[in-house]
Amino acid sequence: MTAVFLDGIVLGLQFGLLGVGLTLVYGLGGILNLAHGSMAVVGAIVVANSMAAGASVLLAVAAGLLAVGALGLLLDGTLMRAVYRLHGESRVLLSLLLTLGVAFVIDGLLVWRYPIGGLGIHIGGDPIEILGVRMRTGSLLASAISIGAGAILVAFFRLSTAGRAVRSVIQDEIGARLCGINPAAVRSLIFGLSGMLAALVAITRSMTAPITTTAGIDFTILALIVTVVGGLGSVAGAFLAGIILGIVNTVSSFYIGTYITTIMLLAAAGLTILLRPSGLLGRRA
Amino acid sequence: MTDRLPQAGSAAMRAARRRDPMSLLQNYWPIILTALALALVPLRYGDSRATMGIAVAGVLFATYAVAFNIIFGSTGQLFLCVGALAGVGAFSSAILADRAGLPLLLSMVLATLLSSALGAVFSWLVVRRSLDTIFTGILTLTLSLSFANLILGQRNWTGGETGLVVDAGSETVLGSQIPPYYVMLGLLVIFLVIYRLLQQSHLGWAFRALRDDEVAAELAGVNVARYRIYAGAIGSAMLGMAGAVWAHSEGFIGPSTFAFGSVDVRVIVMLAFGGIGTLLGPVLGAVVFTVVDEFLVSFSQLREALYGGVIIVLFLGFKQGVMFEVRRIAIKLRRRPGQAAPRAQGSRT
Repeated sequence: MTAVFLDGIVLGLQFGLLGVGLTLVYGLGGILNLAHGSMAVVGAIVVANSMAAGASVLLAVAAGLLAVGALGLLLDGTLMRAVYRLHGESRVLLSLLLTLGVAFVIDGLLVWRYPIGGLGIHIGGDPIEILGVRMRTGSLLASAISIGAGAILVAFFRLSTAGRAVRSVIQDEIGARLCGINPAAVRSLIFGLSGMLAALVAITRSMTAPITTTAGIDFTILALIVTVVGGLGSVAGAFLAGIILGIVNTVSSFYIGTYITTIMLLAAAGLTILLRPSGLLGRRA
Repeated sequence: MTDRLPQAGSAAMRAARRRDPMSLLQNYWPIILTALALALVPLRYGDSRATMGIAVAGVLFATYAVAFNIIFGSTGQLFLCVGALAGVGAFSSAILADRAGLPLLLSMVLATLLSSALGAVFSWLVVRRSLDTIFTGILTLTLSLSFANLILGQRNWTGGETGLVVDAGSETVLGSQIPPYYVMLGLLVIFLVIYRLLQQSHLGWAFRALRDDEVAAELAGVNVARYRIYAGAIGSAMLGMAGAVWAHSEGFIGPSTFAFGSVDVRVIVMLAFGGIGTLLGPVLGAVVFTVVDEFLVSFSQLREALYGGVIIVLFLGFKQGVMFEVRRIAIKLRRRPGQAAPRAQGSRT
C-alpha cells in the first residue's frame, strides 16, 4: 500500500508539472493549448535523438528543453498572434481549434518520422529504501527533478521581477499594462516556459516508463484534467490536483483496473466543471 | 453581422407561408439538387464494393456534419462528442437487436432516443451551469473519452479492441451493396429538410438570435436555455440514428469507428470548410474531404498532419467557410458598376 501511495505521489508531481504549463498559458492569454502534450513528446524525441548522436544525458536534456521552449516561442509569435487579436469567447474557441490543428500536425509528423520510436532513459544504481519501500533510482530522481522544478517555479513567481510581472498580468491585464508591463512579452515568456515544462515532464516520465510518439494526446488529456480540477489559471491548484489525481490514479489502477481509473479521472474533471467550475484553488467564484 | 438579421431567411419565410408548389420548389431546390447529384454516385461506382463503402461513409459524415451544425452552428454549443453520441446509437442499437433480440427498427429508434436523451442531458448541464465554450468543450470531451474507455473496457458487450460484429440487418436491404447508400442518403435528405424547417420555424429565429447575441436574445424574450437544449436533443438524435444505421449496414463497429480523432476532428474540418451555419456547407465539406481522403490513402501516415494543417489554414483564413468565399467572389464578378450590391447572404443556403 505504501509503495502504491509513494508511486502515486511521484506520478502526481509529474501530473502537476504538466498541468502548470497548461494553466499558466490559459491564465495569461485565455489560450487552452491542446498541443501541450505533443510538444512534450517533441522534447522527448529531441533528447532521444541527441543521445543517439552521442551527446551526454545532461546535454541532451538541455537540448530537448531548449528545442521545445523555442517551439513554444514560435507558436506564440506566429499562430497565436491571430488569436490574441480576438477577445472573449471567440479567442478561446480559435485557440482551441488552432492548437488542436497544431497537435495533429506534430503528432502526424512524429508518427510518420518515428513510427515505433520510444524513449526510455535508464538510470543505474541500486534501489533505495524509503519508508520501508524500495524505490527505483529513476523514479526518485524524477520526483526530485519535479519538486525542484516546482520550487524554482514558486520562487520565480514570488521573488523575481519577471515572475511578479507574470502574476500581475494574470490578475489584471489592464492594470499590469498601466504599471508598464508588456503583456505580449510576458505571454511569449510563459509560452516558452510552458513548452520547457512540458518537455521536462516527458523527460522525467521517460526515466520510469518509455515514451512513445503517440503519447502526446494522453499527455494533453492528463494536463487538461489536472488543470480543470486544480482550477484554470492556478499554479498551486495544478500541483495540488496533480498529486491528488496521481495518488487516485495509481491506487485505483492497482486495486480496480486501468480503464475504470481513466473514467474516474475524466469524471473528476467533468464533476469539477459542474460542481465547482473554478477548481480546487481557482480564483473565479 | 447585424445586416444579416433582418434579411435572414426572409425569402424562405415568405415562401413557407404561401405554401404553393412553386415557392416550395424555390425553397427546397438546393436540397433536391444535392440529393439528385448524390443519387447518381452508384451509377458510376456501383460495381465496386469498396468504393460504395467509401461513398456510404462519406454520406454518413455529411449527416454527422449536419447534426453538429445544428448543435454548434445554430446554438454555439461546442459538442466535442460527435463520435461518442453516434457510437452510443450504434452500439446500443447493435446490442439491442443482437443480444436482446428486439426488432431492427425498434432497436434503432430506441438507440436514437438514447443518444438524444444523452445529448439533451449534456445540453441541460451546459445551460444550467451556464458553461462557456471552453468548459462545454472539455465537459463533452470527457464524455467522448469516457465512452472510448467504456467501449474498450466492457468487452463482453462491445467486443473491446476487436470490435463487434453486427448481425441484425445483414439480411435486410442494409446488408447488400447499393441500397445502404440510398438509405443513408435518404437520412441525409431528411436531416437537411429538418434543418431547413428549423431555420424557418420559430426555433430557427431563436437560434439565429441567440447565436448572434445571447444577451440581446434573452432580453427580447427568447428562452435561450430551452432552445439550446432543443438543439442538443435534435442534433444528438440525428447522430445516434446515423450511427445506428451505419452499424447495421456496415455489419462491424469497433472502438476506432467512433473515436474522437477519427470522427470529431474530421467533422469539425468538414463543417468549417463548408461553412458553419449554412444548409449545404456540411454536405460540401463531407464530399470534398471524402474525395481528398481517397487521394491521400497512400500517404496514410501524413494524413493526420495534413488534417491538422487544414484546420489551421481554414480557421485562420476562411472563418466563414469556403462556400461563403466562393459566393462572395461570384457576386463580385457579377456585380456591374453603378448597381447596388446584391443581397449576398439573403437566403443563407
